[in-house]
Amino acid sequence: MDSAGYTTLTRLSGLNREMQAIANNIANVSTTGFRKEGMLFSEHVSALGRDEDSLSMAHANVRLTHAAQGPLAATGGTYDFAIEGEGFFLLQMPEGQALTRNGAFTTNEQGELTSHDGARLMDDGGAPIFIPPAARTISVSADGTLSADGEPLARIGLYMPEDPLTLLRTNGVRFIPTGGVVPQEGSVLLQGHLETSNVDAVTEIARMIEVQHAYTTGQKFIEQEHERIKTVISTLGR
Amino acid sequence: MRALRIAATGMSAQQMRVETISQNLANMNTTGYNARRAEFADLHYQQMARPGTINSADGTILPTGIQLGLGVRPSSVTVQIAQGSLSQTGGDLDIAIEGEGYLEVTLPSGQSAYTRDGGLKPSADGLIVTSDGHPVVPGITIPDDARSISINSDGEIYAYFGDRVEAELLGQFTLAGFSNAKGLEAIGSNLFLETTASGPALVSTPGVDGLGTLRQGYLEDSSVDAVREVTELIEAQRGYELNAKVITAADQMLSATTQIR
Repeated sequence: MDSAGYTTLTRLSGLNREMQAIANNIANVSTTGFRKEGMLFSEHVSALGRDEDSLSMAHANVRLTHAAQGPLAATGGTYDFAIEGEGFFLLQMPEGQALTRNGAFTTNEQGELTSHDGARLMDDGGAPIFIPPAARTISVSADGTLSADGEPLARIGLYMPEDPLTLLRTNGVRFIPTGGVVPQEGSVLLQGHLETSNVDAVTEIARMIEVQHAYTTGQKFIEQEHERIKTVISTLGR
Repeated sequence: MRALRIAATGMSAQQMRVETISQNLANMNTTGYNARRAEFADLHYQQMARPGTINSADGTILPTGIQLGLGVRPSSVTVQIAQGSLSQTGGDLDIAIEGEGYLEVTLPSGQSAYTRDGGLKPSADGLIVTSDGHPVVPGITIPDDARSISINSDGEIYAYFGDRVEAELLGQFTLAGFSNAKGLEAIGSNLFLETTASGPALVSTPGVDGLGTLRQGYLEDSSVDAVREVTELIEAQRGYELNAKVITAADQMLSATTQIR
């Protein structure tokens, strides 16, 4: 049996996955701190038989997380922080640590700084940050030092995963560092700003159209291949 | 085709953003109203091949694997606690709170509610109540024969009688502060209820314990910034259209699939 159809099918199923990644990027165009994803196609070579050439197929096998800085939006919120440069905020969740670039925080009933769904923000020593209830003005300097009425309280920690390749994406714009974290120095923290999603609508839509056309091309190819085989069979069988 | 469903989550999220913006714009002139902002988070990731697992085909370790996102969900609608500008009304019982804190009122059920709407009135029997008639804690009564009243920044309320020069202290307003004011439950009519998330009310006199001070003759405007809201509205609308485009494209791909033969 001819293998051209199978090669095209591997391409089509890869494009299907890529379309899913693009849809997810566009759905998250307004998600604070979102990192867009891409797909990498790789060649998959399969041996057919002793005397035949090998068959090359496509595999959408690897996903990419684009680490580009998202645009910053001024919000004026006291507990809205944006990171300029590398690094992530470290959150303590019931199931362990998580890294995020979503810097929208709030205080909880005990006065601790938490994300909007209650995960505690960690300082540079890995401890929760407590805001005294009587504090009138909270300010954060570029190096992450948080002061209440001019008195330094804590320093917001910025971290990097020890092995960026083992990051597991999870819901809530978070990454689970399966290989541990290391402190990150040298990035700038901005108060009253949030980092918006790094999804660029124009690029995504252009890529989407490309994927859509590639898919239709694949479909046409299979159809022509079908016609060709049909003609061969009917010619030979005559 | 999952792309269809993912784009649908995007459309419903943008729709919720438009609803939040319309609520803000509708309350542009509501005394003491704080703008709300819708926050989004990405949905669960489908781990199709976990990073670090061994590739069955040739035994290599997958460096990043395949994790496909399943869309977006609204994660919270947060109250943006911000001081609104003060506008002068000249009303004796109009008080604006400069800084943090809420006035405590008693609901008909006996429960306490909290408000920043300081447009107060005397009731038929002289008790200070909100515009909806809820008594302000602590119950302060203004005698019928009071000529004028004055409220200082610490919340002390004085009345002047007849032609007497010296004022008489009637009582003192208190303010309630919360560890997490964003966690208060809004029940409409500018009123909020205490919740487990907000922490208990810490009642104190104005100007101490991080609470704000009072200003007589002023009301706090809504903190809604029209320019910002309209910009957000345009963004939300475009976000909605982008997701609709994805639906069209995914539909066309699906239709190509059905044509394969």
